[in-house]
Amino acid sequence: MRRAILLICWLVTDMALFIAAYALAYFLRVGFILSTDFPIGPYLQTVIIITPLWVAVMLQLGIFRLTRVQSEKRNIAHILFSAVLGLALFSLAYYFLHDKFFSRLLLIYAGILSFIFTTIWHLAFDQWQRQMLRRMPPAYPLLVIGTNREAERFIKLLEERRSPFRPVAVLDSQGSPLKELAGVPVLGKLNKLEEVIKSKKPTHLIQCASLEHTINLMSVCRQHGMTYLLLPSVLGAVVGSSERIEGRPVILVKDRWF
Amino acid sequence: MKVKLFPMQCFVLAGGFATRLWPLTEKRAKPLLPLAGKPILSYLIEQVPADLPVTVSTNAAFADDFKKWRKTILRKNIEILIEDAGHEDQKLGAIGAIAQWIDLEKIDDDLLLLAGDNYVGCKMETFLSLKRDRPLLAAHDVGDAELAKHFGTVLAEGSGPVKTVISFEEKPLHPKSTFVSTGWWFLPKSSLPVIREHSLKHPDNVGGLFEEFLRRGMPVDCFVFNETWRDIGNFENYLSLHQEIVDERAIVDPGSSIGAGVSLRGSITIGPDVKLEKSTLTDCIIFGKSTIRDCVLERCIIDEDCTLEGVDLTDKMLRAGTVLKNKTAW
Repeated sequence: MRRAILLICWLVTDMALFIAAYALAYFLRVGFILSTDFPIGPYLQTVIIITPLWVAVMLQLGIFRLTRVQSEKRNIAHILFSAVLGLALFSLAYYFLHDKFFSRLLLIYAGILSFIFTTIWHLAFDQWQRQMLRRMPPAYPLLVIGTNREAERFIKLLEERRSPFRPVAVLDSQGSPLKELAGVPVLGKLNKLEEVIKSKKPTHLIQCASLEHTINLMSVCRQHGMTYLLLPSVLGAVVGSSERIEGRPVILVKDRWF
Repeated sequence: MKVKLFPMQCFVLAGGFATRLWPLTEKRAKPLLPLAGKPILSYLIEQVPADLPVTVSTNAAFADDFKKWRKTILRKNIEILIEDAGHEDQKLGAIGAIAQWIDLEKIDDDLLLLAGDNYVGCKMETFLSLKRDRPLLAAHDVGDAELAKHFGTVLAEGSGPVKTVISFEEKPLHPKSTFVSTGWWFLPKSSLPVIREHSLKHPDNVGGLFEEFLRRGMPVDCFVFNETWRDIGNFENYLSLHQEIVDERAIVDPGSSIGAGVSLRGSITIGPDVKLEKSTLTDCIIFGKSTIRDCVLERCIIDEDCTLEGVDLTDKMLRAGTVLKNKTAW
C-alpha cells in the first residue's frame, strides 16, 4: 500500500514536472510574456496530451521499478531516452494538431529541461522513497537463505545503500553457529521457515546458498505469495541476468572472460 | 531360545526435528517417513518383543502424527510420551528426555534404548539374547573412515558375537575404527544413575553416555552385526534404504491410478491417491495425493499434494503442495 501511494505520487509529480519543463522552455524561448504569434494555449494543450504517453514510455523502460537504482547509468540513459522520445512525440503531436512547425531552439530547451528536471527529481524521490519504505515495519521485509559470505555481503550492501528491501531474518539449511549475520538475526534451519514467514511476514525471499532447495523455496514463495530471488553465486556464477531466447526465459551468465 | 526380558522397558527416541531431511520433515517426524508402504518406526516396533512395554518419546510439534500412528498399531503396550518442545532449540535432548522419563515414571528396570530413525536389519531377539548386566550396544562396520566420522565409533576386542568395547568416540575427526554405534542400546538398571548424572551436562549426547561409562571403568559390550543398517538422516540414506528394501519392483497403492505411457523403473513406491500419466519414474518415492503428468523423475522423493506437469527432475526432494507446471513444454 505504501509503495502504491508513493508510486502514484511519483507519477503525478513526474507529469507535473514534464509539463513545467515544457512551459519553462516556452518562456525561455519566447520571453516571459504571453505571445500572440505563438500562443501558449495550443502549446500546453499538446504537452498535456503527450505527457501520459511519455510516462508510459518510462514505465515500460522499468524506471519506476523497485529494483531500479535511480543513479545508475542505465537508468539515467533510460530517462534521457524517454526525454528524447517525449520530444519526438510532442513534435509529431503539435504538427498533427496544428499543422505547422515552430522554433527548433524551443525543442532543444524542452528536451534538455525535461531530462534535467526528471533526473534530479528521480534522484531525490528515490532517496525519499527508500526512507519511507524502510520505516518500521518495512514495506518489503526480506528473508535471507544462507549464512555464507555472499549472503553477508548482500545484506551489508542492502543496508549501506538503504535499499527498500530490508533483511529481517536469516535461515540456513545446514544450521549455523552464528546468532546474527551483518546485524540480521539468524533464526535457525529451514524447518523454521513456516514459523519465520508467519512472524516476520517477508514479501521477498533471497536464496544465497543451498542449490538443492531451490524448487522447495520457490514452492514456499508461491504458497505464501512471496517473490523469490536468487543470487547468481548459488549457481556458481558471478553475474547473471534473466533473458529470453525464442520466447523462453533463460538465465544469462556472461562476463568479459567467459 | 526364549530370552528372559523382564523387568525391562523399551524407550524409543523419536523427538528429533530432522532438519537435514527438510522439506520432507517440515510437517512430519523422521521416524514416520514412509518406507515401502509403512512408516520407518513400524519396522522397528515390529522387532521389539511383544511383551516389552514401549515408550515412544517425541516432541510437541509432531505429537498428533504419532498419536495417529499409534492408532494404526495393533500392539497395546505402547505409550507416546510428548516432550514439551515445539522447536529444536527447546527440546530436552535424547538423554534429557530419558532422564526425565526415568524420574517421572520412577523407572527402576533395565532399559532397551532405540533410535526411531534407524533401520537395523538384524534380529532384535539376537541382540537381546546377548545382553549381560552391563551396557550393550549394536555396532556395524560402515567400512569407510570418512563415513564413520559422522557417528560414534567403537573400538572393541574379543572374538564371537559379543566383544568388549575398549574405546568409544562420538563423531571423531580421526576415527580409530570403522565400526559405528547404531540405534540399539541395552542399558542395565545399574547404569540408570549414570544416565541421570550425564543428562545434566550433556542432555543430547547418547554416544557420550558410553564414553562416560568407559571413563568410570564400567565394562561395555558390543554386538557386531553384518545385516543392513541405515541412519535415515539424509536424502541419500533414505533413498538407498528404499532401494534396498523395495529392490527392483514397484509398490503401488491400490488407490492410485497408473495411466497410459507410464514407465516405472528401479525401486518405486507410490502412495495413495496418485495419478500418473505419460511419465517415466526411476527409483522414486511418491508419498501420495499427487498428480504427475508428462514428467521424467529420477531418484526423487515427492511429498503429498504435489502437481507436476512437463518437468524433468533428478535427485530432488519436493515439499508438500509443490506445483510445477511447465506450460511451455518443449
